[in-house]
Amino acid sequence: MARVKLTDVKKVYGKDTVAVSDFNLDIADKEFIVFVGPSGCGKSTTLRMIAGLEEISGGTVEIDGVVVNDLQPRDRDIAMVFQNYALYPHLTVFENMAFSLRLKKIPQKIVYEKVTQAAEILGITEYLTRKPRALSGGQRQRVAIGRAMVRDSKIFLMDEPLSNLDAKLRNQMRAEIILLRQKINTTFIYVTHDQTEAMTLGDRIVIMKDGFIQQVGTPTEVFEMPVNVFVAEFIGAPKMNIFKTDLVLENGKYYVTPFGAKIQITGKKGEMLKEKGVESRKILLGVRPEHFILSNEHDKKAIPCKISVNEMMGSELHIHGVEPDGESIVVRIPTITLEDDRRKTLTMGNTIYVTFESKVMHLFDDDTERNILL
Amino acid sequence: MMQKRLGAKASRRLGNTVIYLILVVMTVVWLFPFFGILLESFRVESPMQQGYLIPKKFGFDNYIKLFNETDFPKWFLNTGFMGVATAFLQTFFILSMSYTLSRLRFRGRKLLMNFMLILGMFPGFLTMILIYKVFHDIGLTMSRAPLGLIIVYSASSAMGYYVSKGFFDTIPKSLDEAARVDGATRWQVFYKVIMPLSKPIIIYTVLMGFMAPWGEFMLSSYLIHENSDGMSVAVGMYEWLSRTNMNTHYTMFCSAGVVVAIPVTTVFLLLQRYYVEGVTGGAVKG
Amino acid sequence: MKQLTDLEYLKLNRNQAFWYKLKLFFFAVPQLFLSFGKSILLFFKKIGLYFKDETKDLIYTFSKGNFAVKLSFFVFGFGSFFYGQIMRGILFLLFEVVFFTYMLLPSGGIYWLSKCNWFQTGKTVGNVHGRYEYDPLYDTEVWVSGDDSVKVLLYGLLSVIFIIAFIYTWRLQIKQCRICMEITESGKKVKSGKDDLKSLLDDQFHKTLLSLPLAGILIFTVLPIIYMVLIAFTSYDANHDGYSNLFSWVGLEHFNQLFNFGKGGVGLAFGEILSWTLMWAFFATFTNYFLGMFVAIMINKKGIKFKKVWRTVLVLTIAIPQFVSLLYVSRLFNSTGIIGKMLIEWGMLPDSLLETKRSLWENPTTAKILLVLVNVWIGIPHMMLMATGILMNIPDDLYESSKIDGANVFKQYTKITLPYMIFVTGPYLLTSFVGNLNNFNVIYLLTNGNPLNTDVGTAGGVSVGHTDLLITWLHRMTLGSSDTQYYMASVVGIMVFLVVAVLSLIIYNVIPSTKNEEDYR
Repeated sequence: MARVKLTDVKKVYGKDTVAVSDFNLDIADKEFIVFVGPSGCGKSTTLRMIAGLEEISGGTVEIDGVVVNDLQPRDRDIAMVFQNYALYPHLTVFENMAFSLRLKKIPQKIVYEKVTQAAEILGITEYLTRKPRALSGGQRQRVAIGRAMVRDSKIFLMDEPLSNLDAKLRNQMRAEIILLRQKINTTFIYVTHDQTEAMTLGDRIVIMKDGFIQQVGTPTEVFEMPVNVFVAEFIGAPKMNIFKTDLVLENGKYYVTPFGAKIQITGKKGEMLKEKGVESRKILLGVRPEHFILSNEHDKKAIPCKISVNEMMGSELHIHGVEPDGESIVVRIPTITLEDDRRKTLTMGNTIYVTFESKVMHLFDDDTERNILL
Repeated sequence: MMQKRLGAKASRRLGNTVIYLILVVMTVVWLFPFFGILLESFRVESPMQQGYLIPKKFGFDNYIKLFNETDFPKWFLNTGFMGVATAFLQTFFILSMSYTLSRLRFRGRKLLMNFMLILGMFPGFLTMILIYKVFHDIGLTMSRAPLGLIIVYSASSAMGYYVSKGFFDTIPKSLDEAARVDGATRWQVFYKVIMPLSKPIIIYTVLMGFMAPWGEFMLSSYLIHENSDGMSVAVGMYEWLSRTNMNTHYTMFCSAGVVVAIPVTTVFLLLQRYYVEGVTGGAVKG
Repeated sequence: MKQLTDLEYLKLNRNQAFWYKLKLFFFAVPQLFLSFGKSILLFFKKIGLYFKDETKDLIYTFSKGNFAVKLSFFVFGFGSFFYGQIMRGILFLLFEVVFFTYMLLPSGGIYWLSKCNWFQTGKTVGNVHGRYEYDPLYDTEVWVSGDDSVKVLLYGLLSVIFIIAFIYTWRLQIKQCRICMEITESGKKVKSGKDDLKSLLDDQFHKTLLSLPLAGILIFTVLPIIYMVLIAFTSYDANHDGYSNLFSWVGLEHFNQLFNFGKGGVGLAFGEILSWTLMWAFFATFTNYFLGMFVAIMINKKGIKFKKVWRTVLVLTIAIPQFVSLLYVSRLFNSTGIIGKMLIEWGMLPDSLLETKRSLWENPTTAKILLVLVNVWIGIPHMMLMATGILMNIPDDLYESSKIDGANVFKQYTKITLPYMIFVTGPYLLTSFVGNLNNFNVIYLLTNGNPLNTDVGTAGGVSVGHTDLLITWLHRMTLGSSDTQYYMASVVGIMVFLVVAVLSLIIYNVIPSTKNEEDYR
């Protein structure tokens, strides 16, 4: 139940190690916001500044209109889940969850109610008398979340809560966090380096790199309209293919010419280019692996590509290929669309022909790497 | 193949035999002085060094004399009192210092650590010259030297913060942070979260503080001489082995040694585990 | 010297690589001192800058401050009162009152300061000599006490510290007043006394925790050490004890004595003792280190039984107070002791000792060797315990993979165990080396520094032992009765500091642990 507003937030370590700069963000009440980026991009630092665990070097953090820069963490009314759970090893699960309530000297009856209620939701009632040592990773994670839940605080901060879990458990917990979010309707700020988590959990995603925000938007927005090459490559797996190529303006029509193929840009993208009055120029062309379509050698719009590695993933096939100029290319094909004899040709050393439609392509400036359609 | 494996086994057996041999020899060498001191403490026929190990006549004479005719009981109590008091104060000082340096961040922290490092390079013994003068004037030497020594042992003990800082450094920082987000002040973090987790290092520090006065000689001999009332066992017993006293007090020294060793060794062996943790942790963290 | 690139270095064979590294080390040492010197210069420059900035800031504060700030330049805590921080104000004001009262009292700070005659060579510390005077009442000469130099110097030093504290507090309260002014101007409220107290348990918690330990260190270590450094410039000794005979300032005279290398000169004695001290520290540290590790490896070897028993036997030497075990062992080797007597009877001593039926302790060489051996006895258990802990931390797969690569037990030791140990115990090696430099207990209880070194003679009246370490020599200088030379002890103490500091600096820069902290994690 709180709005969080960050204005020009900055973090400098020592004299000139800048961890975060020019961070501006308005988080709405009850929004689920995800900070995502590679390690060292400043996402955790930002979260910790909101929590009050890290001093703010510049700018302001407001919670519900109150500047909290100088407030201690305990005065900010926040709850936080840590990456390594940070459970108190000497306390039982119950006491771990009750810790904050005990500090507030809340009567035992209410403590009991709140803790058991949270334990019920998380399904850890039977472990309440155990010490954290005796729990599995997933159970510890639940306790950590439970400890944050009983606080009924305005903001729920989560710092890479799933990264210490194995892949299977991670998927399961991710689903549970979505459910949890529906039960405790409050503002969530979630930090992760995993783009899948970001896409599935966030109402909005904040993508960061080297201390700067790259893009803020809904999962659809950042997937379909990445502002630059970094975001384009970061969101989606396997990552987007980026080719150096030319944008050609011929008779009022736009073409891209990757590796000798010539593909016209039609539809909305073409109109946008026209509106902007873009001339012929060098560009970076981005195509996601799943957007390639298998074609044949007679197709003028097709790129030839020699298969170097062939990964069978079950439901889909990842093909790593090399096109004639020596650049590598990744193609992702759903296996269900492949006929058997076609599949047999997709072996190492063979050449395949792939193409794509203009509506799925992304165009970036070859110098600044920014999306030229924005 | 089979033969080779047998060969390996045989050579391992040979290796183990050699090791056992070395260990047995070591055990003899290591225990010899302790058996020596124990046996000689029961010797009745002569109070001086005799050059043989097994007494011709066994008896408790030395022990009886020790407690009835010498000031040893006084020294023993003095040292025990110093041990307990030092353990208490020193633990308090060291834990405060090491906890602060390990887990709190404040201006001047690095400076303070460097300062103490450099300070530690001065021979601490030098400080005794002034301290003796001052303590002498305010009456904390000689018969009241135990009080003075407790102060000397404890006051600067915080400079030996390294081992326990190493321990605190291993407790994840996120525990503090979680507690602070949960609404704890730093003081509450200290006594509600970190202290309950620090049992091993607390016991280690207490153990070290308790053992110190029993073995320490340099500083105590400076504060106490001549006056037997305030002596610690180390200072008192040292006199017994001086050239002039040795012919009359040698066996008595042995029996006193046994009496001193019993409580200290018992406490130590009981808490050995914590000592080992402290030593290893301290070495690794530096 | 030519630095090789990483790839060039890889081309060298083992011998070449060794020589290259050795050369690197020796070229690095002067570099080390150079950079150390530079950092000291930088340190002083920083201090200078600090004072410059502070002065500028003070002038600025005075010109821009309101009348409360201006008044706090003269009345401590005025600003605090003005802005409602009564508690702080009272403390500040109280400090000022106490300071001036103390300083201006007839026998207060200024009185002591003036008596000290700071560093004026030839002048005494204190100026009223104690003397015998005829007392008609008793019809005899009675002692009329004058100044006590020790006290005069102490009070003088305390007054100096008090003045520094005064200036610091003065600056502090001005700063705080200015901050209060700025806070009020920006429309916020200043902290109340209650907030101050509360913050001592929270964001100022370090102050609470550090206050007592730091006070202890300041009073019982820093103050005495500063005092002792001052003593090095005076003539404080048994004949000038400050009470019956005032001591005086002598300038650098005692330091000059360090360069007197003739017979009976301090320089000669110092050199002898220093070289033995270094030798001792080297042997004591490394014998314990390697033998202790060796024992730990033996006990921890798979298939060895009764591990606990072996360990406990060794641990006994740690548990039993050192003065008991060391004194007893030292007497074992006496000519009347069990082992000493046996050695004489069996004729297993050097001839020079055998003829006169003396013990090993009475020959410098054998005494030194025996010292190292007994130190092994007392020291191995420590190292064994530590090595045990560390050995268990070496991942098993390292050994397994090396086995597959074809390493035998010996190779495993030199290629895995040893590098890992040295890496992990680097800091311990340093502290234990320094500890051995100052290993008072072992030397004092075993030999008391004897046998005396008659070749060197008595250095300025203090005898020198063959097995004396600097620290036991220092002890000799202060605890002897007639030859007590506090000033020389102080000079030697300063030298010990320099030796330890220089060695630490070198070792610290050589051991790998401090540089590549992550290598083994």
